[in-house]
Amino acid sequence: MNIPEGILCTKTHEWILEEGKTAKIGLTDYAVEQLGDVVFIELPEVDNSFSKDEVFATIESVKAASEIYMPVSGKVTAVNEELINSPELINEDAFQNWLIQIEPDNFKEDSEGLMEYSDYKEEVQ
Amino acid sequence: MLTLEEKKTALYDEHIKLNARMVPFGGWIMPVQYESIIKEHNTTRASAGLFDVSHMGEVYIKGSDSLKYLQKIVPQDISKLETGKAVYCQLPNYKGGLIDDLIIYNVKGIIDEIDYFIVINASRITEDIAFMKENAKDFNVEVINKSDDFSMLALQGPNAKNIIQKAGIDLNNQPKFFSIISSNLWNIPVLLTRTGYTGEDGFEMVTKNEYIIELWNRILSLKNEITVVPVGLGARDTLRLEAGLPLYGHELNEETTPVESSLGFFIPADKKEDYNGKDMILGQKLKQIPLRKKLYPFIMQDKQIARAGYDVYINGNKAGVVTSGAPSCTLGKNIGFCMIEFDGLNNDLVTRLNNPKETIGMNIQIMVRNKLYNAEIVKKPFVKKNYEK
Repeated sequence: MNIPEGILCTKTHEWILEEGKTAKIGLTDYAVEQLGDVVFIELPEVDNSFSKDEVFATIESVKAASEIYMPVSGKVTAVNEELINSPELINEDAFQNWLIQIEPDNFKEDSEGLMEYSDYKEEVQ
Repeated sequence: MLTLEEKKTALYDEHIKLNARMVPFGGWIMPVQYESIIKEHNTTRASAGLFDVSHMGEVYIKGSDSLKYLQKIVPQDISKLETGKAVYCQLPNYKGGLIDDLIIYNVKGIIDEIDYFIVINASRITEDIAFMKENAKDFNVEVINKSDDFSMLALQGPNAKNIIQKAGIDLNNQPKFFSIISSNLWNIPVLLTRTGYTGEDGFEMVTKNEYIIELWNRILSLKNEITVVPVGLGARDTLRLEAGLPLYGHELNEETTPVESSLGFFIPADKKEDYNGKDMILGQKLKQIPLRKKLYPFIMQDKQIARAGYDVYINGNKAGVVTSGAPSCTLGKNIGFCMIEFDGLNNDLVTRLNNPKETIGMNIQIMVRNKLYNAEIVKKPFVKKNYEK
């Protein structure tokens, strides 16, 4: 599993990667490992907007449902349709299998306080 | 979160060595999964799974009134329970709600000086023992809590019998389905029963705490000959749910009778002796007292997973709550149990809900994250039981 250069992580275990005007959002490898076998992922519809810290998706393991929060505010520009049909892919590679792509409202301001991956790793271990 | 209150089973260090994720359950710290719940579930159905169930409680009953006493505390007719046999029972309170469900074994001649051996739920040991002792006052009987003295394993799945035979048991003899023997596995003394909680053929083994690590490792060391994996509480829950078996605190509680929890099949109509809650339980069984609610198994028609606590709707009106819900690894569908409350529903609907012919196939809706999704009431079990009788 490759850790993409430049990802930022939240305390609630989401990652975000800025790619020009858009950004991809996913769940960290640590979060996915804690969940165990993922069996269902509910993603939002394209063009929906969410504020920072708002719930935008749900991920379910065999045992329980967990909510996923927006690392920054923004509008959904794409969702990873592949995960809807094959949610188990996220267990194989949590970074390759992003959840949604957004157009952030104000990435710079909103991303203050997010952690670099190395700091996040230290925090959870 | 873990607190200092949680007890460890004698196998705690073995679970840690196997990288188990440990969670609190019923006052114990228990493995919820080792590698993968799905893998543990599927391996149990295909070959064999080994479960640490040492948290379960064990009770000895002895004394000249043992039989009379048990006749008073369970609806089942214990006079019909032969030596070496087991029966699934419930422990009703005085109103017919359940304090616990349990398995009673007749162990006369199998355990020295003991008449009956009872296995009870971990989370209910304190309540069960208090209630059983309160009821013992009028009888010449001793209720002995052995829960701290024993550890217990469950070995479940179609290959469980091959492992037990490798341990030196000739299964042409005993134990047959729902039976118990006192024997040795390798050289370890155990009470060996043909029971379980997965819907598969399988065994449960009760032994002293000091022997349990050796027994656990002996069984798992056979894995190169017979596929067997350690299984945590996660798969234990999905396996029992597929088999349509109730779990105390979910499908069973003190406010719900066994008939309302769809266990009417296990209530004899012809037991003469009086027992706690008999008027209510037998009255409901014989349809002389109306049910206040009823448990139904359902399969989701949509992809969403119903979880315990989600609201259930019929024709757009709130009618009850999900008691257990999970994906079924075997069916590839999402399944569950729900308790429908009859109070507040129209009479016509209640009549239909009391008629099994009309309920099978009935559409209900489950509220998942503020949206209603379709489900269909079905017959239990969800997955056919694979017992060897």
